[in-house]
Formats: sequence, C-alpha cells, structure tokens
Amino acid sequence: MAEVVIPIGPQHPALKEPVNFRIIADGEKIVRLELDLSYNHRGIEKAAEQRNFIRVLPLLERVCGICSHSHATNFAKGVEEIMALEIPPRARYIRTIIAELERMHSHLLWLGVAAHEIGFNTLFMWTWRDREAVQDTLEEMSGNRVHYGMNEIGGVRRDLTPAQIQAALSRLPVLEERVRQYRQMVESEETLLMRFRGVGRLSKEEVLKYGAVGPTARASGVDYDVRKDDPYLAYAEVPFNVVTDTSGDVYGRTRVRVGELGESLKIVRYCLEHIPEGPIRADAPHTAPEGETLSRYEAPRGELAHFIRTNGTDKAERIDIRTPTLANWTSVAVCLVNQNLADIPVIVAAIDPCLSCTSRLTVVNRNDGTAGVITFDELRRRRDRQWDRQELR
Amino acid sequence: MTTISTITERLQGFGTAEQVRSNRVRLKTTPDRVRDAITVSQVMLGCDRLVTISALDHGTTFELLYHLIGPHRIIISLSVSLQRDHPSSPTVSDLLPPAGIYERQIHDLFGIMFPGNPDLKKIILNEDWPADEYPLRKDWKPRPESFYGGIKTERL
Repeated sequence: MAEVVIPIGPQHPALKEPVNFRIIADGEKIVRLELDLSYNHRGIEKAAEQRNFIRVLPLLERVCGICSHSHATNFAKGVEEIMALEIPPRARYIRTIIAELERMHSHLLWLGVAAHEIGFNTLFMWTWRDREAVQDTLEEMSGNRVHYGMNEIGGVRRDLTPAQIQAALSRLPVLEERVRQYRQMVESEETLLMRFRGVGRLSKEEVLKYGAVGPTARASGVDYDVRKDDPYLAYAEVPFNVVTDTSGDVYGRTRVRVGELGESLKIVRYCLEHIPEGPIRADAPHTAPEGETLSRYEAPRGELAHFIRTNGTDKAERIDIRTPTLANWTSVAVCLVNQNLADIPVIVAAIDPCLSCTSRLTVVNRNDGTAGVITFDELRRRRDRQWDRQELR
Repeated sequence: MTTISTITERLQGFGTAEQVRSNRVRLKTTPDRVRDAITVSQVMLGCDRLVTISALDHGTTFELLYHLIGPHRIIISLSVSLQRDHPSSPTVSDLLPPAGIYERQIHDLFGIMFPGNPDLKKIILNEDWPADEYPLRKDWKPRPESFYGGIKTERL
C-alpha cells in the first residue's frame, strides 16, 4: 500500500498544546514521524539575558505552568553555585517539599491525561480530584496554585508555619491510600492493561541511544535520576528509591510514575517531619562573579538542564534551557514506528509532553450563569477568608 | 571504573582538561577534533548519553558545549570555539542521535551550520521568521521592516 501523510496539529482535539506532527502511515501502521515545534517560541532565553537575577526568577518560572518550581529552583541553584553561596538547610527542605509536591501534582495530572487518552474518564476524574489535595497544600504554603514564587537567590521567600506543616501532614494519609489503589489498578485493571501493554515500547539500548529522560527512560530500566546521581537540595539526606521498570512500554511508564508518586509522598513526609529550624534565606550578592555551570534538576518529566554563564554583572550572559520534553521527542519518533495510528495519543502522552503552559482564571457563577474574571484584590480577600477559616495564620 | 583521572588521561590528546567540580570535567578542543573526542568518550569512557549541546555568543566567536554523561555519572563538557564569520562545526548527530534536534535548535537561534546533519530544518522558530536573522546572537535587534510571523496588521 502507498504511504500516506497525515498531518496532525497544530490545532487538534487530541493535542493539549500546539505541535505539528506529520505522520507517514502505511495503512494503519506508522512508518515515520516528522515534528514541528515552532508554534510556541516566546524568546524567554533572550529576555532572560536582559534582566537581572531577581527579575529572571519569575520569568523562568513561567517557562512552564506545571514544572514552574523546577525551572526557578534550577536557575537559583545554578546561580548560587557560581556565587559559592550556601543556602540555609531549612530553605533546602522547603524547596524539596515544594519540588516533590510539584512532582506529585504533575504525575497525578499525567495519570489522568493518560486515562483520558484511552477513554477511561473515571480514572481521569479520580486522579484530578486527588490532585486537588496536593494543589491545596501548595496553595497554603505558597499562596499560589501554579506559579509558587517560592524561590529567590539565596533561599526561599516564605517560611512554613507549624500549622501549615500540620495541615500538609494531615492530607498525606488519604493520598497514600489513593496511590496504593492506583498502583493496584494499574496492575490489574483490564482496560489499562489492554491499551498500555506492549504499546510504544523502547528497549534499554534505544533509550540510551535516543537520549530519553525521566520516567520514559526509567521505564526501560535506565536508572538515571539527577536526585541520586548529582544530589541537590535535601536529596542527599532524604531516603528514597529510584523507581525503574523493565517493560519499556506505556504500561512501564505508568508503573514508574505511580511508583514515583509513592516515593514523593515518602520524601514529603520525611521533609515535613525533619525540617530543620533556622533562617530561610542567606544574604545573596546582587552580582555573580564570572563563571559557568550546568545546573541539573530532576523535573517531573525528566532531567532539566540549565547552562548558565555569568559575566560579573547582575545579569546572566547566557541561560540555555534544555527541557526534558525536547530530549524525549527523538525517542517518541522512534517508538511510534510500526505502531497503530490509534495509539498515537497515548504514546505521545506517555512522555508527558509539555510545550508551554499558561494559566488564566475565569469564574462562572453557578446560580445565574454569569462569568467573569476575579480581580486580584478580591482573590486576596477570598484567600484571607479561607486562611482565617483554616486557622493557618 | 571510570574516574576523573582516567577521563583527563584519555582525553589528553584533544586539548586541556580541567576539573570544574567533583563530578565535572571540561575540555577545550577544536571543531575538527570534536567528533573523535566524542567517539573516545563513548567507546573508552562509557559515555552513553548526551545531556545537551549549549551554545554561546562571545562577540567574535561562538562556543558550543557538548555535555556527555555515562554510568560513572561524571559530566564531560567538550567545548568548541567557532569563528563568527563562518560558524560551522561537523554534525555529531550520527554518533549521538539526540544531537540532531539540538543542532536544529542551535541552527535556528544562532545560525551555526552543522555540515552532515541530514535535516537542518527549522524546529523552534516559526515558518515566517526571516531566514537571515538569528535572535540569540548578541547583536540581534528586531528590524522594523522585518516580519516575524503572526497576523499582519496595518499600523495606525
């Protein structure tokens, strides 16, 4: 049969973000994939060269709406390394807690999206409901659901009160129970097994050859994890395991992510219970000496690398961002070959692609159906009311 | 067992290596030797993975950094300096397949050529972007007469 080119995207119901695939198919089988990512370039690297470190942090946080903390922490950590600045232990723990909560909300979101891609919308609703508990914790700690704004060069901007720690700890048992159930479901639920097993398989050799990162790599038995390989924040002190799997397919990637949910819960619990007392920030100079570093961070989607070069001023000479998704595309193009056309959404979703995210808040009044945007002051008032209620202040 | 000392010893012929941190080695080499240095890192030092390729603009020169890692978890950064008037470095995408996508990105943003890369098409910048403008070069400024994509509107 002749080969047919099927264009998918940049606007397509099965895609969450603008990307263009040209699928070259022979009947139902995929022969090749060509990729165009050019719909979302916002020039953040260029903009980051023009701003001082203080203003770069919120900018980098907006690279992605899901791994916002990853980008900000990775940059702050890199600049601190160049400045030879040691941040206080309490700040390291707070950064770790937010980082692992972020991984949990990201993996729960992913599990929902993967379930949705195969039409299993009940699981999608469940995981997104549980994700709200994580989001609530993040909001209590940082005041925000998406861009936490916790980092600054030299530490964090907000301390955790004992009441916040207690509130976070009180949510963990429910989540632990839910994650146990998800693990069971992933291993026994027929719908998941039929659509995930043997789909989009990558061998260990292929993963290494094509440079996949994160859960995609770990699902094929490659145990790269920056948290263990090059410990940063509090990871050298916190006990946790690197979750790997040997099956290498979408099923394996699901098992790894659900396993990591359990590990993240353990890390969050450990950090909340063992958080050291003390200051939350060190005095950071405004300028960084001439230097360079490759700052690495295990984001929810895999290894995130920032190459930072400073030139003695308060601005960076160059910030080169390599996101985990960019590293994973090459492996997607490989593992789609010879798969069914119908499996494209779930295989693409299995690397948890993140092209860029934005967030906007519109509130609909259920009683009269009116919709509108809440002003910042009103949002603040509502937050304060909620906080008073929960006695967190 | 691959250690910092075996790495610096093996890569001696390609340039001067320095240890930047406990698990980082940086080596300055030249474009014509970078492919051999990568092959040596792969075959003799067990590097099985490319973390990324970083690119920098130094004014008169461009710099490329190939960050490699292996089971020893030591990052080897191979630095290459390119002349600005003819920025070109042989592709490494046949040795390291993930390099293909990074080279395309650097080509888009810096205008560096990678002879031998079979598919050096645009990937990051949109299709309307002018062909001879490279936004991450230090001297790049948006030109009023250029069209950078989006929807054309009459200026009032």
